[in-house]
Amino acid sequence: MKTRLQFIGPFKVFFLALHLVIMVFPLYWILITSLKPQNEIFTYPLKYWPTNITFDNYINIFKISKFHVYIGNSLLVAISSALIVIVISVLSAYVLARFQFRGHRQIMLAFFATQMLPGFISLGPLYLMMTQLDLINSRIALVLMYTVGLIPFSTIILRGFFQRIPASLEEAAMIDGCSRLVALIRIIVPIMMPGIASTFIFAFVQNWNELFMAVMFIDHDLLKTMPVALNSLILKYDVDWGAMSAGTVLSVIPTVFLFAFAQRFIVEGLTQGAVKG
Amino acid sequence: MKSRQPFILFGLLPALLLVLIFTYYPFLKGGIMAFQEYKLFDLRNVHFVGLQNFRDAFKDPKFLTALQNSAYWVFFSLVFQFLIGLTLALLMNKKFRGRGIYQGLVFYSWALSGFLIGMIWKWMFNSQIGVINDLLLKTGIIETRIGFLSDPKWAMISVIIANVWYGIAFFAIMLLAALQSVPSELYEAAEMDGASEARKLISVTLPYILPTIITTTLLRVIWIFNDPTIIYGMTNGGPAGSTHILSSLMLDKIIYAGDYGAASAIGVVMIVLLLLYTLFYLSVTKSEKMGDF
Amino acid sequence: MWEKKKRKVWPTVVASTMLMGLLAACGSNTDTAKSDAKGNSDQAGAGASSGKVVTVHMIESLTSPKRTDILKAMISQFEKENPNIKVDLISPPFDQADNKIRTMLAAKQELDVLEVRDLNIAEYVNNGYIDPLDTYTGTWKDFSTVTAVAKSIATNNNKLYFIPNGLYQRQLFYRKDWFEEKGLKPPVSYQELYETGKKLTDSAKNRYGFSFRGGMGSAGITDQMVLAYNGDQVNLEDAQFLKSGNTIYSSPEAKEAIELYMKIYKEASPSDAVNWGFQEQVQAFTSGVTGMLLQDPDVIQTIQEKMKPEQWATAPMPTGPNGKALIQAGGAGWGIASQSKNKEAAFKLIAFLSNPEQNTEFGKKYGLVPIHTTAANDEYFKTGPYKTLLDMSNKPDVFMNYKPPFQYPGTGQWNQASMESGQAYLLGKFTVVDVLKKWDAYWMDQKSKKK
Repeated sequence: MKTRLQFIGPFKVFFLALHLVIMVFPLYWILITSLKPQNEIFTYPLKYWPTNITFDNYINIFKISKFHVYIGNSLLVAISSALIVIVISVLSAYVLARFQFRGHRQIMLAFFATQMLPGFISLGPLYLMMTQLDLINSRIALVLMYTVGLIPFSTIILRGFFQRIPASLEEAAMIDGCSRLVALIRIIVPIMMPGIASTFIFAFVQNWNELFMAVMFIDHDLLKTMPVALNSLILKYDVDWGAMSAGTVLSVIPTVFLFAFAQRFIVEGLTQGAVKG
Repeated sequence: MKSRQPFILFGLLPALLLVLIFTYYPFLKGGIMAFQEYKLFDLRNVHFVGLQNFRDAFKDPKFLTALQNSAYWVFFSLVFQFLIGLTLALLMNKKFRGRGIYQGLVFYSWALSGFLIGMIWKWMFNSQIGVINDLLLKTGIIETRIGFLSDPKWAMISVIIANVWYGIAFFAIMLLAALQSVPSELYEAAEMDGASEARKLISVTLPYILPTIITTTLLRVIWIFNDPTIIYGMTNGGPAGSTHILSSLMLDKIIYAGDYGAASAIGVVMIVLLLLYTLFYLSVTKSEKMGDF
Repeated sequence: MWEKKKRKVWPTVVASTMLMGLLAACGSNTDTAKSDAKGNSDQAGAGASSGKVVTVHMIESLTSPKRTDILKAMISQFEKENPNIKVDLISPPFDQADNKIRTMLAAKQELDVLEVRDLNIAEYVNNGYIDPLDTYTGTWKDFSTVTAVAKSIATNNNKLYFIPNGLYQRQLFYRKDWFEEKGLKPPVSYQELYETGKKLTDSAKNRYGFSFRGGMGSAGITDQMVLAYNGDQVNLEDAQFLKSGNTIYSSPEAKEAIELYMKIYKEASPSDAVNWGFQEQVQAFTSGVTGMLLQDPDVIQTIQEKMKPEQWATAPMPTGPNGKALIQAGGAGWGIASQSKNKEAAFKLIAFLSNPEQNTEFGKKYGLVPIHTTAANDEYFKTGPYKTLLDMSNKPDVFMNYKPPFQYPGTGQWNQASMESGQAYLLGKFTVVDVLKKWDAYWMDQKSKKK
């Protein structure tokens, strides 16, 4: 056993180090591309270390296109939608975890089946619906669409968490005269925080990155989201790689920050739901 | 229990209504187009054509290539994502200095959008000024540049590499969490019996995290199969349609051809395939309770 | 029925928002994020206070952040001059713009002015999406100076459907410094382009002769070559066909052209280029990978930004073996959506954007040939990279203008179809005969469909 461990040591270090390099290198490459002056991005031989660091690409994306506005919109839409998803899914997951009733199985299946539907088929009909609801060109349309898209998965995951929590907890609170809803919010939700946080992050990441609906439903420049702005950098003749890299770096920051902040929650959260649900 | 009725309704109604109105209803409307001649640039000529779109699809070599590519795309992406993800999770299971930072650095890829990942890798795989060719040349691994995205032999491999890079984190996160929850008593018992490390892995660890493996692979296959964004960003299906998978071909039919009939037909084929896959998968792994579906 | 659904959905959202408040009150969640996203759906006109302000909704197709800025500046000047018209410019990402415009038109979303491209004019006309502009141009004072070429690309079934915002015309861009270094002259014919390209190619140095384009838009090169090789036999009024009525792909000359095309790819271009579209092709030229590029004037901007003046120059389009080249002007411009409720205001905007002063300025800033005859006297278009274009139009017997097949609805899909079989040919999956047969069949089919 001891000898085996000695063998595992170097392998482990090697594997972890190699993996780190492979994961980090693309981000590094994008970062230094974003710091190179326009004419150096395409020069040969390639530079692996930025010699003339410039923030022109960053200045440009704020000057030419209003990246601060797009980031703001993305944050607003992604966070609101993720919050609404949590509220709605906590309720539905709780009901599906605690009660047996007619149609229970069908509802679970209906939620699971949504994961299989290729979203692009619905894009045309959805556009018509949004036109009729007069929601084109409003961020509400995006919040609504993103929320709907995430409810089924979040419900399935959160239900797994509820199943791990003994029902006796809220029943005790209900004997004390609390209504079921209050018991749920006061007693169960705090215990569920890891699961809720990780579901929130999952939802946020999905929303933060969505491109195709955001192109379809938003016309007005001041309402555009970050992925649309990045997609706009693909021009007729050119991909503006400098701006694209700068935009990519900026778009990674919030998600990485969120990840770092909630690392513990995520890891616990997602799987505990998945183990059962 | 009469008194529960209102609460059940109150709890389920928002989720159910939203999903029915905004997911299923538009999907059915879109699905109908699979049986219609429905081209955005010829809307005066929309009419039912029965199974014509399906016949056209199965006659189209591009569709057949995409079908085959979808199989490669899902299989290789999944296998490598899973194996590397599992190895990573096993190695990260024991605490080491800087593990928290390490996690942040290797898991961030999961938070990027497929479109951006496609763009990043397109940039790195570029055969003239791409950093990957440059590195391979510098280290003497290759003599001449490889057209990673222009040579049909390489293009599919290249998009799969990008997809694996993106998906390792998902498995690693999920499996790591499952590993953390394995009760230590189980290991202690195994050690009492004098089990080797490998033995412990096979008879304790893997069985315990099996439910997680089943759930994650099931969902992951569906997501990988359905998500065209990496391919959209990287090759847009080129060269000569050699990197299209079914979902990117569907996207292509919508964005560039405006042919909703053909796109929906592809979508219907995709759903049928996924349903078959899910039924098969669940019947094979029926030993596990999949959240009582 | 829609009203009913609307009532069902909103309470849900409202209820969830209230619940959110409840959650926050429980003290378990101290998120300060705003819970409800109120999109300002910018519906001017709904509640505009000052009498009759009209909002004109306008959408562009060939979007780039820079071009959008130029347009916005023009629009704000227009709004100053017409205080009762507000313009709402929609700028979707270039890659998805046409799809978005189609969807908006199909769904009857509010839209007044849209950018129509030569490629999709027939599609829009056939669907009844755009109105003819002839009734408006009658009273437009600047219409008399619009060039015949500009009118011809915007005409379908003898009616004018858009006012081009400028014209594209292909020419050859080449690396002056490389040519001087090797003592080469810019090629006059495609055969010379191939030979020169071979001399410039040095894969060890990562240098190639020609910015080949096998990806999106490859038809631009293959069709140009086939046309040049067919030369005088082409029916200039219906240029996918010969005077005999057969397609241009059916002649032995076409085979010659496409065989040379393969040689150019194999011996004078990077193999990567089978996949190249606009972007890669231009990038390769500006970054010093390739020595020759066939492109429209709107790349001039990009080239000027990324290269030094002594590094590049322009030359006329290459010719076929009989010394003829067929050239065409392309372009996009502003048309009026049939569903528009403000057609008068919409044309006012189009007339402003298309007046000689604005149009010439737009051409200079963005790299297009202006549409008014008056601009021809502008020094700017007599010099530098634009001079070649002028030279070509002064030799109409060598550079014969032809009318592209924009009257066929299938034109919009041709790029895609041509590229797919073209790539299959370059990759050795098709023979030269296969690929020409495919192309021939496509256009015979178009011809039979057109009543």
